Amino acid sequence: MIAWVDASCILIVLCALAVLATYRIAGMIEIFAAQSIVLGIVPFFLHFNELSARTFTIALGTIALKGLLVPYILFWAIRHVSMRSEVKPLIGFGSSIVCGALIVAGAFGISQSLRLPGRAVSELILPCSLAAVMLGFMIMVTRVRAVTQVLGYLIMENGIFLFALALFDAMPMLIEMGILLDIFAAVFIMAIVVNHINEEFERAPDAARTSRMGESS
Amino acid sequence: MILAMIILPFACALAVLLPVSKRFRGILLCAVSCVYAAAAASCWMIPPAPQFNGYLALDPVGLIMLSAVGAVFVLVSVFMIGYFEHERRSNRTFTACLFTLLSLMTVVATSYHFGLLWVAVETTTLLSAPLISFHRNQESLDATWKYLLVCSVGISLALMGTFFMAIAAHETGSLLLPDIIAGASSLNAAWLKLGVIFLLVGYGCKMGLAPMHSWKPDVYGQSTGMAAVIMSGLLTQCAFLGIVRVAHVCNSAGLRTFYSSMLVVMGIVSLIVPAVFLLGVRNIKRAFAYSSVEHMGILVLGLALGGVGTIGAFFHVINNALSKTVMFLTAGSVAQKYGSSRVEELRGIVHAYPATGVFLIISALAGTGMFPFATFHSELMVLNAAISGKRFFLAAGFLACLAFIFIGMTRTVLQAVFGPPAEPVMPKRENSYMNAAIAAAAAVLLWFGVWMPAFLDRGIRAAASMIGG
Repeated sequence: MIAWVDASCILIVLCALAVLATYRIAGMIEIFAAQSIVLGIVPFFLHFNELSARTFTIALGTIALKGLLVPYILFWAIRHVSMRSEVKPLIGFGSSIVCGALIVAGAFGISQSLRLPGRAVSELILPCSLAAVMLGFMIMVTRVRAVTQVLGYLIMENGIFLFALALFDAMPMLIEMGILLDIFAAVFIMAIVVNHINEEFERAPDAARTSRMGESS
Repeated sequence: MILAMIILPFACALAVLLPVSKRFRGILLCAVSCVYAAAAASCWMIPPAPQFNGYLALDPVGLIMLSAVGAVFVLVSVFMIGYFEHERRSNRTFTACLFTLLSLMTVVATSYHFGLLWVAVETTTLLSAPLISFHRNQESLDATWKYLLVCSVGISLALMGTFFMAIAAHETGSLLLPDIIAGASSLNAAWLKLGVIFLLVGYGCKMGLAPMHSWKPDVYGQSTGMAAVIMSGLLTQCAFLGIVRVAHVCNSAGLRTFYSSMLVVMGIVSLIVPAVFLLGVRNIKRAFAYSSVEHMGILVLGLALGGVGTIGAFFHVINNALSKTVMFLTAGSVAQKYGSSRVEELRGIVHAYPATGVFLIISALAGTGMFPFATFHSELMVLNAAISGKRFFLAAGFLACLAFIFIGMTRTVLQAVFGPPAEPVMPKRENSYMNAAIAAAAAVLLWFGVWMPAFLDRGIRAAASMIGG
């Protein structure tokens, strides 16, 4: 099953890179949903021989909250504020990919010197989760649209969660569910704030804010 | 007792969501805060039993935090009754969020599990967003967005740190504080160090330590006085509690120098930044926000220096909560009266509202740590720790920063208090609820400044000796 875990880890990083290269916001949300569903399947591969109710709860919770509900809220948000695409990011799409590749290389480099103690899990979990965290962070700081920044945050959280799956036994289930719910609540509140900002923007348009919220150019 | 203190506010949060009158919500908040404060006071006499297999337990550190929460909530709720007499907006979401925050802060103060602590701190971050965007104008929404993004990222780093700590505690197999402390010698040092870095940066972001303070002036500048009190006096200290827990683990694992050197740097930068920026600030709330950065710096500096510094830091937890109550409640009252916090539009407050003008001067003095307010003593303890640790440059830098902060703060405040009077937007009548709350906070600060009660002294020393170092 380790081969499947490895494949999922690589898919997660590829999804993060794909978000970096995508122009349409709807496309980014779809890629994020795919990434979350892959993340939700990882616990099954990790604990294939000893499936428990816990594995199912965590996996299904991840898929339901991050794979379905969060993308739904984000789609609702972009429909309401009618934005279609990312305007000029601070770093161009081409150079973003190059930076992304460097980040992935860096993540693999760092994780060379770190060793997870205990039961051997996939070698790729640590570098891939670090890469996803850093890619998410990069999306957050280089994109100007509010929804894209939220996506960056979510990809970062996915990276952290992938890491958490590797230490399945250290965290009690209730707390893991709490973490998931918190992330869900974060997106919910951010979507509401985006909506409020948009209402306020329609009342008093302002050139500096157009790039963040308004109709796409 | 702990469970009741979590459930009661939460139930009330649901109750105020029902369509009831504005005044009822305010009075309910006030009543519940008083009950809560009484419960917190009873915990000083009868320590409550741990709950849920030790996930929730009240120790001396949590007790100090819990008492600060109780006191601040009583004061803020009294102030709120007065504030909402003159406010058109509904207080439904606002009160509901305050109740939920009260319940969550109990969880933070009593949580003995790093994961649970994280979940509670993250939820407080999310629930304070509606408090910031209360006015629903462009600036406050922008500030909310900035707060959500910066703090969410910070808190995610803390989550990562929590996981690193879980790896370090692989042998123990548990993230419960007593288990980690008991198995401190078997912790994996490399992973623990990595975890500590992430936890300090993450919770430091939520605390608003420089250089992660960028959200503070905007957020405190745009939110109402009450929301700013809850955030600067309590929520930031919830994050400080997270740092205290990390320090406790490090002390028992023999990593004292490692984390203290990081905290000293963060602390002194958090003093330099307000010292520089306060000189140019022309807005009272923003000036007080920089003062909050300063006080966070003093807290971590005290913790880093150890010994008498730790005692000073725990004393400062209470003093900071009270001084921020005086400062931001006064700023909130001024902002409501003049419809602005900019110094140009405030001038001559003491002529239009004599009591508020005096409170503003008191808040500047209490905020900058002047005698006879208790902030003076806790700052002196931190300075004492620096000198007795033979860190003379640090002590000199500390004093210089405090001097510049004093100059910047008094300059801004005095310009607003004196001078030719500006025209307020509200009738020139003081509100007794608001003034009573501010006066009570100032009086307690004065009381602790001239005579520290024995029980408080015992409690603070117990907390300092518990975390060691």
